[in-house]
Order: sequence, then C-alpha cells, then structure tokens
Amino acid sequence: MVMGIIFKTVNYTYQPSTPFEQKALKNISVEIPTGSYTAVIGHTGSGKSTFLQHLNGLLRPSSGEIVIGKQIITPETKNKELGELRKHVGIVFQFPEAQLFEETVLKDIAFAPKNFGKNEEEATAIARQMARQVGLKEELLLKSPFELSGGQMRRVAIAGILAMEPEILVLDEPTAGLDPKGRLEMMEMFKELKEKQNLTVILVTHQMDDVANYADNVIVLENGRLIANGSPKKIFAQPKWLIEHHLALPKAGEFAVNFEKKTGYKFETLPLTESDLASQIVKMVHGGVQNG
Amino acid sequence: MGKVLLGRYIPGSSLVHRMDSRSKLILSFFFIVIIFLANNWESYLLLFIVTITSILTARVNFSFFIKGVRPLIWLILFTVLLQIFFSSGGTVFWKWGPFTLSYYGIVNGIYVFCRFVLIIFMSTLLTLTTAPLEIADALEKLMMPLKRIKVPVYEISLMLSIALRFVPTLMDETTKIMNAQRSRGVNFGEGNIMQQIKAVVPLLVPLFVSSFNRAEDLATAMEARGYHGGEGRTKYRVHYWEIRDTLGCTFFVVVFIILLFIRQW
Repeated sequence: MVMGIIFKTVNYTYQPSTPFEQKALKNISVEIPTGSYTAVIGHTGSGKSTFLQHLNGLLRPSSGEIVIGKQIITPETKNKELGELRKHVGIVFQFPEAQLFEETVLKDIAFAPKNFGKNEEEATAIARQMARQVGLKEELLLKSPFELSGGQMRRVAIAGILAMEPEILVLDEPTAGLDPKGRLEMMEMFKELKEKQNLTVILVTHQMDDVANYADNVIVLENGRLIANGSPKKIFAQPKWLIEHHLALPKAGEFAVNFEKKTGYKFETLPLTESDLASQIVKMVHGGVQNG
Repeated sequence: MGKVLLGRYIPGSSLVHRMDSRSKLILSFFFIVIIFLANNWESYLLLFIVTITSILTARVNFSFFIKGVRPLIWLILFTVLLQIFFSSGGTVFWKWGPFTLSYYGIVNGIYVFCRFVLIIFMSTLLTLTTAPLEIADALEKLMMPLKRIKVPVYEISLMLSIALRFVPTLMDETTKIMNAQRSRGVNFGEGNIMQQIKAVVPLLVPLFVSSFNRAEDLATAMEARGYHGGEGRTKYRVHYWEIRDTLGCTFFVVVFIILLFIRQW
C-alpha cells in the first residue's frame, strides 16, 4: 500500500480563543515521499511534537488538510474515521517505556495487534517475532516489563509498535537516554527494518549525526514554521545558515569545517558522515603525495 | 485536556489580583457564609451587586464564570427541583402524590439557584485571580494557630502544595499516555461500559507507576537539598497585608451590616 504524506497549509492552535491560545503550527505545506527516511529537526518548542501527532490523527489540523494514503484529515474529520489510519502509522513516542502496562512482556507487545483485529494466536506470534527483531532474549518474554532495565523496557515498547506492522514508522527521539552502544544498535535496527519492509520512516531527533547517517530527506521547523526541506546535503551545505538558526553540523562536517580553516585545504563537498570524511581525507592525502 | 477550569489561574494586575491571598481566602469564606443569611429579594440583589462588582474589579472575562457553573449544572438543577417540588407553603398551584408545586417552593427554588451561582462565582473569582500555590500558602498561614493543638500544619500545607504542583504534570502525563495508547489502538470513551472500563487499565497502570517513581524522585531531591520538616523554614513568597486588603475587608463588613438590616428576621 502506498502511503504518501502531504500537508496542505496546515495550522494548529492549542486552546484557541482563550488567554492560553498558542499557535503551534503555521501554514505547514510539505510532502513526505513514500519509502523515504525523513528527519524532522528543530528546537524544543518548534512544533515537532505537534507535527508528529498529526501523522496518525491524534491531533486534527485547526485549518488546512493532511492527506495520508487514502485518508484525508480535515478539521471536521471524526475520531471514528481515524482508527484505520492508526493501523498503518506506528508512532514510537519519546520515552515510550511509559506506555507499558501488561503483566508480561509478550502480552504488552501483543497489545496493539490485538486491538487492531488480530486474534490471540496471531498476535502472540507477531509479538515473539518482534521481540527477536529488537533483540530481546526469549527468557525475558514472560517476565513483567517493570522488572526489566531501562534499555530493555525501551526495546519492549518499540517492539510493541513494530508489532502493528505499520507502513509508516514515526520515531520521536527513540534513542534519548540510551548508552552509545544501545543507541547505535537501535538506529541500525531501524535502518535494517526500513530496507527490509520498505517502510516510510519519520525520525524526530536532535542528533545531527543520525540525520547525516540515516536520513535522505530533512524537514526543519522553527517556531511552528517550515523553514527548510530537502536532502541532508542541501540542508547542511550552508554552515552560516545553520548557525543563524541555532542548528549544528554533524560531527564529521564540523570537523571538516575546522580542518579547512586550519589547514587551508578544501573539500570537494562537505563530508557529513565519518566514512565520507575518511575517504575524502584519504583521497586528499594520496593526491598530496602525488603532487609532492 | 485543557477544559478543566477548577484552579485555573489567569495572571493579571487588577486590584483583586494584587490583594493578599490571605485576605482573598478569608473574604471568600466570609462571603459564602453570609450568603446563607440572605432570605429575600433585596438581600440577594445586594449580594449579586457585590459579586458583579468584585468580578468587574478583577477584570476577568465573564465567560470564565459561566464555564465554571456548567459542570455543576445538573447538581444545581437537581437541588432546585427538589426545593420546588418538596417544600410547601403559600398558594398551592398543583399537587400529585408527594409532589406539590407551591408559591414558597418556587421562591425557595429560585433562592437556592441564586445561592449556588453566587458561591460558584465567588470561588471561581478566588481561583482565577490567585495562583494555587498562593492559596496553599495562605491556608498554611491561616492554620498556624492550630499548631498549638498539635495539628501538623507544615505537613498539611506541604502535601497541599505538592498536590497542586503536580496537577498539571499529571495532566500532561495523562495526555501523553493516552496518545501512546490511542496509537496502539485503544479507543477512549467509546463502546459499551465494559469496553470503556477495559480501556482505562492501559492508562491507569502507567500513571500509577510514573507517579510512584516521581514521588520517590521528589523525596530524594528534597532530602538532597536538606529538607527536614517545616520547623524554622523561611518562605520564598512573603505575604504583605496592605491598605487594599484592609479596604477589601471593610467593604465586606459593610456589606454584612447592610445585609443584616435588609434581611427578613
């Protein structure tokens, strides 16, 4: 099923016509292509979370229109019409371990598929498969989720979303609070999953390295407005613009900029990932040897 | 969420906002007590004038007060109907079994309605113009004399402050968990009663777990910063009793005296 996402001049206002009125999204028009790995970046309060809650109809736009696959969401859309959409869009919220509640890990993972119409047996089978997918050991499955470590709880929660077998996977800072090894494992797992199942992934993150390493499309939000949209190359091409908007370069890019300043060498294109940086330096060194 | 008005403070700089929370609290209680002295048209008119004047002085949009009445409207209507049909006296217009519709019944019903509206308006005014923590502070100050008879005033007020402080936090948390479970296919507020009860479990369990965790964190944080009970603690928010508070109290005492004259004895 093809599930493109199109936002058409979407506005969202919290608590309209009260003294607490707050415009969280302003005239957002953007398209997220099917099968893309889209990163959403921006500061705290830039509207990322609000944007994300529009992706499965938790919030409906105050004005404008969102098209996700066949579903059109307008301010008038009824809650009941959104159940179908939620089957196809899985959202992993920030600190998703807060959503665990079942007696056993297995039951908790099977919760969503059961809600979406799978029977006990099918749901349990999917749950086992997803537990393996996120790297949970077999002996943990019958334990209470509250006995696990923080990192394991995170994996259970993520498996619980993957068990919905969504076509669109939305990740809100899925690695916040994990150690570096866990973080890398998790990001690699999402990448593998995306390639295997041809998912559309939308990643909200503060880690520019993750943007450079995994995303092929970037959306930049500031104060509820869309201020840039394009490939990571395009977004990170102008370090000055980034500084103006208080955004950072990935570590490799930052290193490259400093390297250029100190040595006077020029990179052909600004490297954004470690491997890109390494290969460009190798090229440079070999070139230098030949010239010398 | 966001529809809960109780205890919703609207910042402002009006005379009522700037009054000491202690005087506002005392006056609200005082007003609620003297409402029960009113027993004829003139006295209710007086109390309405006082309430409207107070609301106008606070410069808060009137719609907030109407919204404050709305959640209690069924309770009010029930009480009013009870008064109308079960109190007797005066001309009887209609009678059926235990129900009578009499002149006094109708008058009483209207009085009860006015009483409810006045109480709700005044207490809404208190909570709209006073931050919850200030109310807690005022309560602590006003309860101080009870310390003599070994009432744990500090502890009560600490509990109250913490409870108030965590209302918005818990509401945020609830919204978050509801969103997460909705995304996992839970439909809150839909289906028959059994389904609705079942839908609450995935919300309540995480809320309990996080509240307990939060309580433990809070206790650790307080101990780490040297909290050892309320004895000898100084206050961050200091109360000043100003002219306007004395004036406010005088105004209500005057109202009270007038009320004593115009009420029916």
